[in-house]
Amino acid sequence: MTRYKRKDPEITRRKFINAAMGGTVAVGGISLLSTLGTANPVFRLTRDKMPPLKGDVLVHAEESKEGQIIKVSELSDQLVRAWPMGKGEDGSNVIRKGDPNNILALFRFPKGQLVAPTNLEATVDGEIVAYSDVCTHAGCSVADSDQGDGMKCPCHSGQFDPKRGCIVTGGPPPRALAQLPVQLDGEQLVVSDFFLAMPYPYIAESEWESFKKEVEEQLA
Amino acid sequence: MNQWLDERLHISRLNDKFLRKAFPVHHSFFLGEITLFSLIILILTGILLALAYEPSNSLVTNSFDPGTSDKPNLIPAAYHSALKINAMPFGDMLRRIHHWTANIMVAAAVIHMMRIYFTGAFKKPREINWWIGMLLLIFTALTAVTGYVLPYDNYAYQTLKVIYGIAASVPWVGEWVAQAAFAGKFPGAGVIPRIYGYHIMLLPGILLALTGAHMLLMIKQKHTQPQYAKRIAYKKIVGVPLSTQQTPIMLLLAIMFAAIIVLFSAFIPVHPIEHYGPPSTTPINNIKPDWYLLWVFGALAIIPSFEVHLFGGLIGAEFVGAIVVPTLFLLAMFAVPMLDRSKDNMYYAENPTNHPVRLAAGVAFMAAMIVMSVAGYKPELISAGILNTANANTILWILLFLIPAVCYFGVLGIVRGIRTLREADQRERGAFSPADD
Repeated sequence: MTRYKRKDPEITRRKFINAAMGGTVAVGGISLLSTLGTANPVFRLTRDKMPPLKGDVLVHAEESKEGQIIKVSELSDQLVRAWPMGKGEDGSNVIRKGDPNNILALFRFPKGQLVAPTNLEATVDGEIVAYSDVCTHAGCSVADSDQGDGMKCPCHSGQFDPKRGCIVTGGPPPRALAQLPVQLDGEQLVVSDFFLAMPYPYIAESEWESFKKEVEEQLA
Repeated sequence: MNQWLDERLHISRLNDKFLRKAFPVHHSFFLGEITLFSLIILILTGILLALAYEPSNSLVTNSFDPGTSDKPNLIPAAYHSALKINAMPFGDMLRRIHHWTANIMVAAAVIHMMRIYFTGAFKKPREINWWIGMLLLIFTALTAVTGYVLPYDNYAYQTLKVIYGIAASVPWVGEWVAQAAFAGKFPGAGVIPRIYGYHIMLLPGILLALTGAHMLLMIKQKHTQPQYAKRIAYKKIVGVPLSTQQTPIMLLLAIMFAAIIVLFSAFIPVHPIEHYGPPSTTPINNIKPDWYLLWVFGALAIIPSFEVHLFGGLIGAEFVGAIVVPTLFLLAMFAVPMLDRSKDNMYYAENPTNHPVRLAAGVAFMAAMIVMSVAGYKPELISAGILNTANANTILWILLFLIPAVCYFGVLGIVRGIRTLREADQRERGAFSPADD
């Protein structure tokens, strides 16, 4: 420490360097942030990424039969996976598998076995029922349980009962699987409306509602 | 030539500073070296794999099974290139070596840390290196997980979906974080290039930088000395110098280690991508992460379902199980050096039985990890009839607290027993050979 502090009317070299370095860091940091901003690409809602819509035909999702229309006779109390197939902008068929969360689970139970809280009006004759096949916990595809008691998610062993509106019967999932209203149109199973509840990955009703609105606006 | 180099590069100074570094002679000090050799093998095999790998999830025609012209068999380019790597001479072997080494690297790092913990080598002045080591462990696991996704078969796809779900489960910012990390909504068009960037550039870069810092600090601070050094030459560094005595030992160890990995890879297949097939919506039964993340998986499997809405954010079982719980465990590990109050520098590795509480706590911690990992096998335990759906969670939760507690008090008891025996032994020796004093 010197006793005399030199009073320099002009900017010192140290000050200049500090300011220059600070400026560089600030500008560099901002430009880096703008680069990082592009890490999250813009989401374009194309037809293949839309959720199951009114009028969509249900087709097989299994690789060997993908795209074939599901017949009522093929359904049973064993899960059948399905994709919704709608129309593209040019009128051709589009399987909506751009969003893997669109995968559906179809069941057919003998009359009387489907009970509340299943929405029976959204089923075909109280026999055929469709659910979102995506576990509400971590988003895995749910399968038949090997114990014969409904459905089980292979990822963290969430369990659902397809006869009772796919309510959670065990494990960590927070919500039932969303039911999809279906009806029979000739030989084809056709979607009659949006999911009755919000499906995975939505966590707030408002988000699901605004997404539905966005889809409707784009289709209109 | 030595002189020529010395005049330009001052080799003699390097020699004094680094090449004469003394290595303690004890086999437990090889664990860190094995971790380092793993990293080197991983980088070498990784470069070779990168030469043939195509980091893209755009669909291409499967050249092994092209399908028909009106219905071509389309698979992601990354998966296709992994199939091609398998078809290369020694290609499958290369993948196996890479995969096995990754597992062994994590294992070696974990055992290395156990050695550090149980001998008290994390104590002052080596706290910083314990923390760097923790970061190395975390980034090694992250690198391994991103590598897991690259073949982009159905297994990788399902794993990635869960990882995406976990990232998205963070309250308030989750969805944005997940999309920024994985290039858009799952599965983003650029998700494989993104993860490829992480796996071959970002994470190895971090690993190499941390490894460099880890070793520089180790050279600066010197190894902890094994107990025998105290008897031979108190307060002096005892060991063999890196050059030339330790070098042949290291080379031999590296070659033996590489040989064992090649042997493993030759006979034990890993991750058969052909078996899982390209990404699809068909779930895979018994899908599980690698062993070092099984405890997180187990936590997710036994945590009950709940949802708390807080200021517009959602705190759910997934966030708590996959992010909060592991963070708490990691924080506990980070905090280890801070629990030690000693002011003096520590020179000599301690005998674990002289520190029964630390030993017991470490064993209990590992027991908790093991119980959580076993909980990851909940579906299998139920299928095998050992547990049933109704009682599985309750029993696993009880075990999660009971077994570590039993381990803790068990270890304390055993150590106390050993000490009593040792003291009795010394008393007897004292009684029968007073001439020694």
